[in-house]
Amino acid sequence: MSLEKYEAVIGLEVHAQLMTASKMFCRCPNQYGSSPNTNVCPVCTGQPGALPVINKKAMELGVRAAIALNCEIHPESVFARKNYFYPDLPKGYQISQYEKPFCTQGYVVVQLKTGEEKRIGITRIHFEEDAGKSNHEAYGTLVNLNRAGVPLCEIVSEPDMRTAHEAGQYLRALHSILRYADICDGNMEEGNFRCDANISVRPIGTEKFGTKVELKNINSFKFVEKAIEYEVQRQVFAIENGEKIIQQTRSWNSAKNVTEVMREKEQAHDYRYFPEPDLPKLVFSSSWLDKIKKEMPELPQQTSARFKAAFDLSDYDASVLTSSKELAKYFESVVSHSKNGKASANWVMNELLGRLNAVGKEIDLSPVSSTQLAELIAKIDSGEISGKIAKTVFEEMFATSKDASSIIKDKGLVQISDPAALENVIRKVIESNPSQLAEYKAGKVKLLGFFVGQAMKETKGQANPALLNELVKKFLDS
Amino acid sequence: MLSREEVLKIAKLARLTLTEDEIGFYQKQLTRVLDHIQDLNQVLTNKEAFVQHVPVDAEPFREDVAVPFANHDGLMKNAPAVENNCFLLPAIMEQN
Repeated sequence: MSLEKYEAVIGLEVHAQLMTASKMFCRCPNQYGSSPNTNVCPVCTGQPGALPVINKKAMELGVRAAIALNCEIHPESVFARKNYFYPDLPKGYQISQYEKPFCTQGYVVVQLKTGEEKRIGITRIHFEEDAGKSNHEAYGTLVNLNRAGVPLCEIVSEPDMRTAHEAGQYLRALHSILRYADICDGNMEEGNFRCDANISVRPIGTEKFGTKVELKNINSFKFVEKAIEYEVQRQVFAIENGEKIIQQTRSWNSAKNVTEVMREKEQAHDYRYFPEPDLPKLVFSSSWLDKIKKEMPELPQQTSARFKAAFDLSDYDASVLTSSKELAKYFESVVSHSKNGKASANWVMNELLGRLNAVGKEIDLSPVSSTQLAELIAKIDSGEISGKIAKTVFEEMFATSKDASSIIKDKGLVQISDPAALENVIRKVIESNPSQLAEYKAGKVKLLGFFVGQAMKETKGQANPALLNELVKKFLDS
Repeated sequence: MLSREEVLKIAKLARLTLTEDEIGFYQKQLTRVLDHIQDLNQVLTNKEAFVQHVPVDAEPFREDVAVPFANHDGLMKNAPAVENNCFLLPAIMEQN
């Protein structure tokens, strides 16, 4: 297969549930996990005569997303009916926006693994209501309408991405921004942040887009990347074999690691969009928009810039530490207690994140709390334990959630900073290595390291390294 | 006149299976509906007409307060069939 002769053209559509207390057009609670059909009313079950009323908070969160994603906000937009028949859509249409969405033309800057940045365009964001959920059983279909009418923002990107990695990074950046600004909780398992991908391939150097395939509802960053990678290869392979790419909707089968055909792609006009006659034109006043702008929460890039300036961190360190709101908060809490920005960054990134990744946990489930980690860092800074011992202590903290001080006490790991105690050890080491001593005396001064190492080993790593070094040198030279 | 294919497509979107007689019937009836809309198009030249009934200065928004619907049981009784608190419908196959 000659993959390198082709490039992929990828655009993503993200459905993000907005963090409101009630639904988009009725007062039913917007709540995941309630018992089926408890959060329903005449409006969201599509009873004749029921009328929708727009949730102000949902509009505010949408505007926040538009600001965070650098979009042009349209003070006037229009809700539209998207018509299709499916039992999880009780009205027979979904209230959405079509010709006149509330914002267009934004962008997100994403970090690539090469260290470069890439700007991914956002075509539009529009409001729409979520559908219910249907479960297909042999005897019938069970419909739960708790989710019907939950407010969503659909965020449509430009086809600016060329690799699965770029798509993954775009999605991560979007996810992080929406969470930072308290727009969407980003919970992918509960379906609160869902992604569809449009993928086509074309020979490198050509302008014309190939026929696109839509991948539906991929529910993790990893699956998005894997699904796109697979799909790109599948398309290139098909073209190389002289087959034609068929415009279709496919889904990712994570058990088999393949994409599979779902259904014929319905053309846009099949939805027979028309302006929603039950709702007025959506009008945002400039004073209201200004108010939302003023009250914007801090965004990841702003947090990152603040961290860089305050704690002297590299671009990379700052971007890792602000990759999620929870992680940024954790790090800030560690620093505020440890008073050592650089060491806190190193401990969080190198020790904590590595271990969390290994056990597949997120920062909010870290067995070591931010204050516990800060205490450990403070103990290194005060000389109570060495950096090396600290790693052993940390391992224990991670396994047991115990405080550093109790582990140090229980295991007798306090750093030995008493010269008399170290001198005894050093004397023993020198006596048991007479040939190395002779070589040292003959001018092979590099052997200092050997003696320090042996002495450190004798103390089980507990010797104060600077003091040990000094004393060993003094002994050897005397 | 609407084509036979157009009628079948509309029927498919509405999840309806039509007999031969019905195809002919809807070809004529839907054509008459469309003709009527054409007539209306000549009258309604103002594209914004659809929102004219809403007062311009009306507050169109509702505060975000969750209030469970009071007559929930009544609502569920409207359903032809309920199972495990879910609306029970005839089995739906994925359409291909």
